[in-house]
Amino acid sequence: MTLLAIRDVHKSYGALEVLKGIDLTVEAGEIVGFIGASGSGKSTLLRCINHMEAPTRGEVLLEGETVGVKKVGDRHVPRSSAELSQQRRKMAMVFQHFNLWPHKTALENVMEGPVVVQKIEREKARAKALAALARVGLADKADSYPSRLSGGQQQRVGIARALALEPQIILFDEPTSALDPELVNEVLAVIQGLANDGMTLIIVTHEMRFARDVCDRVVFLDKGRIADIGPPSHIFGATANARTQEFVRNYYG
Amino acid sequence: MEYDWNFAIVWDYRAVLLRGLLYTVMLAAITIVTSMILGLVLALLRGSKVPFVYPVISTMISVVRAVPVLVLLVWMYYCLPIITGLKLEGFTTVVIALSIYSSAFFAEIFRGGIQSIDRGHIEAAQSVGMTRGQVFQRIVAPLAFQRIFPPLVNQCILVLKNTTLAGYVAVPELLYLGQQISVRTFRPLELLTVVAVLFVVTIVPLTLAAEYFEKKYREKYFR
Ligand SMILES: Nc1ncnc2c1ncn2[C@@H]1O[C@H](COP(=O)(O)OP(=O)(O)OP(=O)(O)O)[C@@H](O)[C@H]1O
Ligand SMILES: [Mg+2]
Repeated sequence: MTLLAIRDVHKSYGALEVLKGIDLTVEAGEIVGFIGASGSGKSTLLRCINHMEAPTRGEVLLEGETVGVKKVGDRHVPRSSAELSQQRRKMAMVFQHFNLWPHKTALENVMEGPVVVQKIEREKARAKALAALARVGLADKADSYPSRLSGGQQQRVGIARALALEPQIILFDEPTSALDPELVNEVLAVIQGLANDGMTLIIVTHEMRFARDVCDRVVFLDKGRIADIGPPSHIFGATANARTQEFVRNYYG
Repeated sequence: MEYDWNFAIVWDYRAVLLRGLLYTVMLAAITIVTSMILGLVLALLRGSKVPFVYPVISTMISVVRAVPVLVLLVWMYYCLPIITGLKLEGFTTVVIALSIYSSAFFAEIFRGGIQSIDRGHIEAAQSVGMTRGQVFQRIVAPLAFQRIFPPLVNQCILVLKNTTLAGYVAVPELLYLGQQISVRTFRPLELLTVVAVLFVVTIVPLTLAAEYFEKKYREKYFR
């Protein structure tokens, strides 16, 4: 079943065209990796998917519904903020710099979405948030403020915050790039666990080994276009694309 | 140079002075509330994307900040009635003039606080599905408030001290009453001293409380 469809997505900032027509469909349960050089448009594409940035052309569909805009006749009109808000929470996001809210405990960070956006009763939301924290192995840190947590722990809370929304898909933007090397694995292990549980994931990453081991498909972005795409065996092996080969060689070591 | 201090006379007028202090505190409290609300509105409008709103608001803020507050007050009290034919009471005029003046400063403080919020924290809030209003209420406002707490307290103290200008339009605040008593008793030095002490004992606890709360939340959230 196609969960997400990206159709001819373009994004420009003034004269700078960052995305030059991206087409991609993601099946439910699929793990898709985005790789590519700095500035190739990986984060921009992720932000166009959940409409944090509005594409300048093209559209994104989640379960067949256009994200952020809707068709009235043959015109696109922006969705109400309530509609967009419900769509966004189905595509939870995990950030490179964690972006936990410093004035809330780990538990409160995780509860915030369910309580404020989904309007779930506090006690139920609390149970849900605790379950999400347990799933990333941090039930014992529920009452800690982010400033007391290590980078790896903060990122795991970030993942729990995404999980508590019960999203259809989770978007990761370089979830381990800001971490000290010894903390990378605990986060990757959590993501691996989600993959094993059948979650649909899109992961922007520079961790080539991880992309090779976990992803069903890997997308190589180059200057705003999909330059190469295929299963890891293709991207990290059989591809005939010279740019992919060069990129992978540089990062893979 | 010898001066024969006599605070006994001041003691005779203690009830009047306390009434003045109460009046001052009340005047300041009302002004602080109105100018904070006005300041917040200005700060939010200034951030709005509606055309012309930004230049109009920021020009207004610059003009108001450039006029000495005493000039603004006296001008409103004497000139405005001539121009508009509308004569307001001294108390009302003081509240309005001080509120306009202080709101320009509060607006700058609020704006700085809102702008200082990490984009990432806002994006995280959007990504869980919060609407603009929810992002402001749940994330931006509390984080900004913590950050601007010290300058906010400072500005409140300035408002409190600026209320002494109300005497120029015969509003019976603490300094005005002190001066009236000193004219009657020929004891200006004692009265000024007492007025100063009364301001100090009002303001210093406020400062200490503010420092205490700031330290508390820093330890809690940003250690
Ligand atoms: N809000 C913006 N305004 C203007 N230019 C932008 C904006 N956001 C991104 N860009 C530009 O778009 C290009 C792609 O940025 P993007 O962040 O998507 O790259 P990336 O592939 O995620 O790179 P990295 O690996 O460094 O994270 C860059 O040249 C960047 O400067
Ligand atoms: Mg990026």
